[in-house]
Amino acid sequence: MGSEHVAAAQPLLIGLLLLWSSYSKFRDPEQADRTALPRLVGESRAKPAYQTLAAIEALIALALLAPPSWAIEAVAAAALAVGFTGFLVYSKVVVPEASCGCAGKSAKPVGYRAIARALLLLATAAVATTATAGWWSAGPALGVLVVEAAVFVMLSAELDRYWLLPIRRFRIRLSHPYAGTASSTAPLAATQRRVLLSPAYRAVDGMLRSDIHDYWDDEDWRYLSYFARYDGRRATAVFAVPHGDTTPESVRVAVVDETSGLTLYRPTVLATTG
Amino acid sequence: MTTTMDRRSLLSRAALGATGLVAATALGSLAPETAFAAGSQFADAGQPDPNFAEGLITGRNQDLLQVQGSDGRMHRIQLTGVTSVWKLRPTTIDQAKIGDGLYARGVLLPDGVLAAEAVWVNIVNLTVAITSIARSGVQFDHHGQKVVGHVQSGTTAAVYNGTPAVSDLSMLKVGRHAQVIGAWRPGTNEIDIATIYTSN
Repeated sequence: MGSEHVAAAQPLLIGLLLLWSSYSKFRDPEQADRTALPRLVGESRAKPAYQTLAAIEALIALALLAPPSWAIEAVAAAALAVGFTGFLVYSKVVVPEASCGCAGKSAKPVGYRAIARALLLLATAAVATTATAGWWSAGPALGVLVVEAAVFVMLSAELDRYWLLPIRRFRIRLSHPYAGTASSTAPLAATQRRVLLSPAYRAVDGMLRSDIHDYWDDEDWRYLSYFARYDGRRATAVFAVPHGDTTPESVRVAVVDETSGLTLYRPTVLATTG
Repeated sequence: MTTTMDRRSLLSRAALGATGLVAATALGSLAPETAFAAGSQFADAGQPDPNFAEGLITGRNQDLLQVQGSDGRMHRIQLTGVTSVWKLRPTTIDQAKIGDGLYARGVLLPDGVLAAEAVWVNIVNLTVAITSIARSGVQFDHHGQKVVGHVQSGTTAAVYNGTPAVSDLSMLKVGRHAQVIGAWRPGTNEIDIATIYTSN
């Protein structure tokens, strides 16, 4: 298996990659709006430019895949790869939020992986220009393509969900980084939700002026205080939420004047207001 | 500290009904006009709400904040002893620092200062996909943007399938969509997670 065979094998990989890229551009031309194309060629010309590029990709791909093998096909692919690399670098510098639009749906902005992939495509195309025979005569050198294809997959953000996320899911199933976070103390968000759903909250809702100001636990209860206005004066509304009883009616409330320490209002028969 | 303890114990006793009720007129005062007599101005149609402000804190003089709104407007916001401040959790007014972003609700005073009743510092509400979970943080994809969420033990809560919040984060899964309420760390793409809503 000489370097000549390896070079001869490249057009197969390049051709398949360009077909994939071309197909996804034809399937969803609206992706053009998310790339840097509108900035480069103008809003109205972005979609036609995107589709023209797809057509060029398809043409080069088919020329590479079908006999006879001419060096000019690989040169065209190399030129295309140079164009891709330049466009991606332009995207990253000028329109950093633009997506690559290379292949498949991805809202991800152009990253180093996309540029590395374009450079790899350029490298394979450059190797292919030295080929003297068609890929069908490459023989065992086609095995090299498996390794190259794997690298292409790893550099493709569009394909992460097919291999990277499953690997991460599997790793987390073995040992979850947050396995020990469960605790018997209810988080504040849970208490707040119980307060919001309680008749006690409905009874004083119109008086509340602030968000939660303070909260604390004491024996069987958790307390939440809000600033309120009662009869035109400043007051504090304090809710008592029992740890044990989870019924909405178990939440109690009082409106307190903190300067005098007197309770101004305490709804009593809460169940009927619910 | 003692005053906080005294205050809390007074409020606790009041909430549980251990203190006497003073106002016999309590029921009469429940009329809506009483509840809304606090003096808030109502917004004119098409005009910005006068009782609300948002932006980045560009200056702080004692408890008066200088805030630059995202629409270019400048706000002056007065924090008081009766302002609630949220910064990942309910906290104290000294936590609003220069460089922080905030939302404030309160009463606009005649001199143009907003007397804040509630302030939310650096609060963010993101719809994301979970792309990776590690001890150092949870990685999110927020419409193509990478955001790192940090778990704060004792504060971070998770809501699975709409059930009540729990502190157990071990049911978070890679690939799931989630909504995250958190506190942004200014100048970074990192947040501290307050509550994460997802499915399990």
